[in-house]
Amino acid sequence: MKVAFVEPFVKAARDVFQLMMDLDAQRGDLRASEQLVPSKDASVAIGVTGDLLGSILYSFPRQMTLEMVEIMAGMPVDELDSFVISALGEVANIISGNAMAYLNSANYMCNINPPQIVLGQETALEMVTRKALIVPLRTRIGEFDIFITLKEQA
Amino acid sequence: MMWKEKYRIGVDVVDNQHQELFHRVSDFLISVQRKGDWGQKIAKVKETLAFMQEYVIVHFRDEENYQLQINFPEYEEHKDVHARFRDMINQYAVRFEKEGFTQELVQEFGGKLMTWLIMHVADMDQRIGAYVREQGGKG
Repeated sequence: MKVAFVEPFVKAARDVFQLMMDLDAQRGDLRASEQLVPSKDASVAIGVTGDLLGSILYSFPRQMTLEMVEIMAGMPVDELDSFVISALGEVANIISGNAMAYLNSANYMCNINPPQIVLGQETALEMVTRKALIVPLRTRIGEFDIFITLKEQA
Repeated sequence: MMWKEKYRIGVDVVDNQHQELFHRVSDFLISVQRKGDWGQKIAKVKETLAFMQEYVIVHFRDEENYQLQINFPEYEEHKDVHARFRDMINQYAVRFEKEGFTQELVQEFGGKLMTWLIMHVADMDQRIGAYVREQGGKG
């Protein structure tokens, strides 16, 4: 899979974190993994179809998830309940939607499926490529990972 | 409190309605997320749902009329986004009827309402203000 597919997701995530939470997200070093297994407590998987096929997995630490929702809601949040999970899923959905717009302008016409929430670090998700690329993003409230496994449709 | 001053676009009628929307959603979330008997919160949930269904129609209409008035180039795209949001609210209203006002479903609705409102006002609506400023107008 092409490293170029990573950039639209990084750009979209940085924009969305700034717009929605006033958080600066710094990109860490790219790494590869042979498995698509959540690295942190609360994750959102989003399927991609169209010219590119595969999935994106956003993986967040529990405390960071709570703080993200606290910033948006402007009130204390202390458990990963349906409200928090729904908000997290939507943030990942918005990032992915914006990333699709960047990919579309690079002539990859793709769509995304509704977000699926994965809690815990047990579940392995299906990969369409031999390796997934993982890009960590650091903010002042924690670090999260974006896993990307995308291949061009023949 | 969800509202932030940076959400202002510099057009009073739109900003006042946005503030009202943020206050109502914020109020709703506080009530839904407060510890306590769920049964007692359902009245508030129903009230917010009814308010959203009515008020977004008024607000979207006013905002779309304003966009037409200033020849906003993204009018059609913006109108579609508003329509999809109205559909989302109505779909939840149908689900509440069918599945009941369960805590889980209401919380899910709250998460969507909050993120949509923030992203829409912090991003898409800002382009209205930017356009007005570009044209040299004051709104």
